[in-house]
Amino acid sequence: MSRRPGFLVYGLLTAFLLGSAFPLYWSFVIGSVTRQRAIQSPPPLVPGGHFFENAARVFDRIDFWSALLNSVIISGISAASVVLFSTLAGYSFAKLRFRGANAGMVFVVATLAVPTQLALVPMLKQFSNLGLTGTHAAVILPWVVTAFGVFFMRQYLVDAIPDELIDAARVDGASMIRTFWTVAIPAARPAMAILGLFTFMQVWTDFMWPLIVLQGSDVQTLQTALDALKVAPGQGQSDMALVQAGTILATVPLLLLFIATGRHLVSGIMQGAVKG
Amino acid sequence: MSKISKSWRRTPRTALAACAVASLVAGLTACGGGGDGDDEQAKLGKDDTLTITTFSEFGYGDLIEEWNADPERPFKVKQTVVAEWDTWKQSLTTGLQSGEGLTDIVAIEGDMMPALVAEGASEQFVDLTDKELDSRWMESKYLEGQTADGKQIGYPTDAGPEAFCYRADLFEKAGLPSDRESVKALFKDWDTYFATGEKFVAKVPETKWYDSSGSIAQAMLNQVEFPFQTKDQKIDVDNPELRAVYDSVAKYAPTLSTQVEQWKEDWQAGFTNNGFATMPCPGWMFANIKDSAPDVKGWDIVDAFPGGGGNWGGSYLAVPTQSQHQEEAKEFANYLTNAESQVAASKVAGNFPANLEAQSVLAEENATDPYFNNAPTSQILANRAEAVPAGVPFKGDKYSDILGLFQQAIRRVDEGTDPEKSWATFTEGVEGMS
Amino acid sequence: MPTTTSAPVENATTATSTGASPRRQTWRDRLSRWDLKLSPYLYVAPFFLVFILIGLYPMLYTGYLSFFSWPAYGADRGPWVGWENYAHVLGDSVFRKAFWNTIGMFLLSSVPQIIVATILAALLDTQLKGRTWWRMSILLPFVVAPAASALIFGAIFADKTGLLNQTLAGIGLPTVPWHADRFASWSAIATMVNWRWTGYNALIVLAAMQAIPRDLYEAAEIDGASKVKQFFHVTLPSIRPTMIFVIVTSTIGGLQIFTEPRLFDTNLRHQGGSDFQYQTLTMYVFNTAQTSTNPYPRAAAAAWILFLIIVGIALVNFLVTRAVQRRSLR
Repeated sequence: MSRRPGFLVYGLLTAFLLGSAFPLYWSFVIGSVTRQRAIQSPPPLVPGGHFFENAARVFDRIDFWSALLNSVIISGISAASVVLFSTLAGYSFAKLRFRGANAGMVFVVATLAVPTQLALVPMLKQFSNLGLTGTHAAVILPWVVTAFGVFFMRQYLVDAIPDELIDAARVDGASMIRTFWTVAIPAARPAMAILGLFTFMQVWTDFMWPLIVLQGSDVQTLQTALDALKVAPGQGQSDMALVQAGTILATVPLLLLFIATGRHLVSGIMQGAVKG
Repeated sequence: MSKISKSWRRTPRTALAACAVASLVAGLTACGGGGDGDDEQAKLGKDDTLTITTFSEFGYGDLIEEWNADPERPFKVKQTVVAEWDTWKQSLTTGLQSGEGLTDIVAIEGDMMPALVAEGASEQFVDLTDKELDSRWMESKYLEGQTADGKQIGYPTDAGPEAFCYRADLFEKAGLPSDRESVKALFKDWDTYFATGEKFVAKVPETKWYDSSGSIAQAMLNQVEFPFQTKDQKIDVDNPELRAVYDSVAKYAPTLSTQVEQWKEDWQAGFTNNGFATMPCPGWMFANIKDSAPDVKGWDIVDAFPGGGGNWGGSYLAVPTQSQHQEEAKEFANYLTNAESQVAASKVAGNFPANLEAQSVLAEENATDPYFNNAPTSQILANRAEAVPAGVPFKGDKYSDILGLFQQAIRRVDEGTDPEKSWATFTEGVEGMS
Repeated sequence: MPTTTSAPVENATTATSTGASPRRQTWRDRLSRWDLKLSPYLYVAPFFLVFILIGLYPMLYTGYLSFFSWPAYGADRGPWVGWENYAHVLGDSVFRKAFWNTIGMFLLSSVPQIIVATILAALLDTQLKGRTWWRMSILLPFVVAPAASALIFGAIFADKTGLLNQTLAGIGLPTVPWHADRFASWSAIATMVNWRWTGYNALIVLAAMQAIPRDLYEAAEIDGASKVKQFFHVTLPSIRPTMIFVIVTSTIGGLQIFTEPRLFDTNLRHQGGSDFQYQTLTMYVFNTAQTSTNPYPRAAAAAWILFLIIVGIALVNFLVTRAVQRRSLR
């Protein structure tokens, strides 16, 4: 293939990268200077040497590890579940013929358009009636399968799996689920990786719903636990160095996941050669 | 909460689904939040936990730790702290609207109180009335936590009696008196205050007289007896007192005001780049100034406030009826707001207690602040608290909505809209509210 | 969602009917028939079950309450008021203003976002050195919490001390009233939105591009098609379903824009500007739920009106996209 990118492409991407990465970098800069330096002007632009001190203060102030564990459990289960069920449903809508398929799909997309600003009140009622407030399940359940995921997988799979492959598997006598497993899953790998990553990140950074539904309970996610760092001692201004150090600590697991998924995305594509 | 969570794991799936369907049906018929009377009261044992949510810093951490360490105490307490009022307000509102999920005690910012003591909302809270406590707090704060028919919704925690903070160094530069005693005369009333401002900006043109039009408008508004609504909750924004506040602020906006919005970046910058020389200063603002301008020398506090006194801020503790431990919650709210607790909390949180006995204890300690040129802060605040008129301003059920529109009107003038036009938009907006 | 013009082949039926004896149906055959018939429903069932359990109730609840009165923070709802709440919202000049604000910000954000995301995806769909790193790096804005990025954009767009206005003033140009001027505020907010979502959409488009068989490009290359031509004649037609997905979701997302404009107004009430210059429809819904007269029912009515608006626009958008794509194929 002669699709070798030139200087211009690298230049454009570098510019984009700088813009994308700056806030995260700056967050690290603030998290690595002293409390006093963090609010002085002009603001610091290069990292200081106090990150580990600030991190130690974070561990001192909040129950970081238990919150981390909760967040990993909640985001992990949500992401796995969204990927599994969305791929199944997306595959069904994209490739299987059944009565009501089109109407069903229109319905799925329509639910995306429902504004969520008012949903917290009925959701809290509902979860309280189910006796779920204060549990992991309360945060996971809204993320078991999403309209976004179903729609995404449907659109991806509609062209990514040639119908001949499915036919061939069926002729070989494979059951429906086996066909799904051997034909759809390999083709869906890159999209599954992306959907899993997006979902994990979204659940990871979700704040308002966990705050409301976990109120007063011992189960706290990273985001609700980190919120406590913003409390300004003695009514003054927040300790920004502490806050940003906490933010960075909570972002590290996401970055690790990034690296892991990134490889998967690429390798998935290489295997995307299933599609003749 | 943890008890519920255990039982759910044992619930079979089918039962869960059935419950969901049932709650769908039941939920719709009982739409409109709690108060369905299913909140059975349960007595707390020594190892049971009472829950409380506060926001920002109330200074209760150590008190609760001590309480929990004391084997004599009848129950344990767990506090959740939400960093920002805006966040907690959303959470609290959701809890009140759905009738579920709130802790046994909730902290409430004073601005929300007028809406909560109104008819309908007040039913969501336990009556905390206790004759013995009638004279525990500043009357003005105590009354704001009370419904029209005398039901006590909240116990006041802190108050925000306002003094004025000023830059002594810039005053000197403008040839004005600068020591705490002699500047008092400049803050005698609003006319003197504005007139002094005009002299000031003539001498020091690169610095404005006050921090924002909004804070001055709020300060003047707090001295109007019926700013937006009459005693019987009728909306009346065409009254001369309100118009006078608006006209003064609009008139001086181009010359004396920074014309920036409070709490925004530009306002924040004003602390360090000599943006302004004076600002209304409740006790909790002191720490904010110190943190915003640690290197600026010259900030001082005057024991005076134009037109008398005023209050900015202060919170309450309340017990929602959805709590299953109302008795214990009331008892603990009482404990947290007693003089001893409030003195301790004030030292941690740096706020000014609404508890009168705590105020006098603090005043006797006569603390001074080196940052503010050794100003006797506790004494000044105690004096300012005495100057706060009780029951003024009258805050009707729509106070918060109209105040928002009023501040927007001021903001428009700052941004260059003609004051008459902006006022017309304001009255139109109020009319459309109904 | 009838998104593709090429209907999938009747794949499964052909598989079973061939080879099975028409007279004696074995147990296996019957099982296979049931498998064939039920599986599609079974696979989509989880979504609908979860929806019934979690999504349906809030919709019914808000729909039901939008016809009642309910005092602020009241324990119980008041009497039935019919369409009054809807009438109030539709008659409210702030709502109409919020509608146009939303449309404006939507156009300034979603349109450039999709174009840039597609170009970016095309750039990343090349033999880059260290391509995993480049690909993942475009998602970095998404790991930063909106509140944290709002701090930085706040410092950039501050009216007096902001980086942009300081720079403009420094080179002798007039400064821009970012918070007072309607169009300027929309642009600033759209910048924040685009910063956050462009990389996200680019990654989705990239995934679809990667699924394009490489021999299509090779064939085009042999025909002497330029890179740009290849993009329009091979790449774009091949990723049509995913483009439709991106366009539909960013239309819906753009019309529900909330966090950025809300954070752009640091005023404690977050009204979206002194004259509602940048209040959006979702902010209207949210703010209405905080007012003192029938807050929740009115907000619920506004939410349903907003839902219909979004469905309407998404539908128009979808039809236009399909028509344009069809024409471009000819």
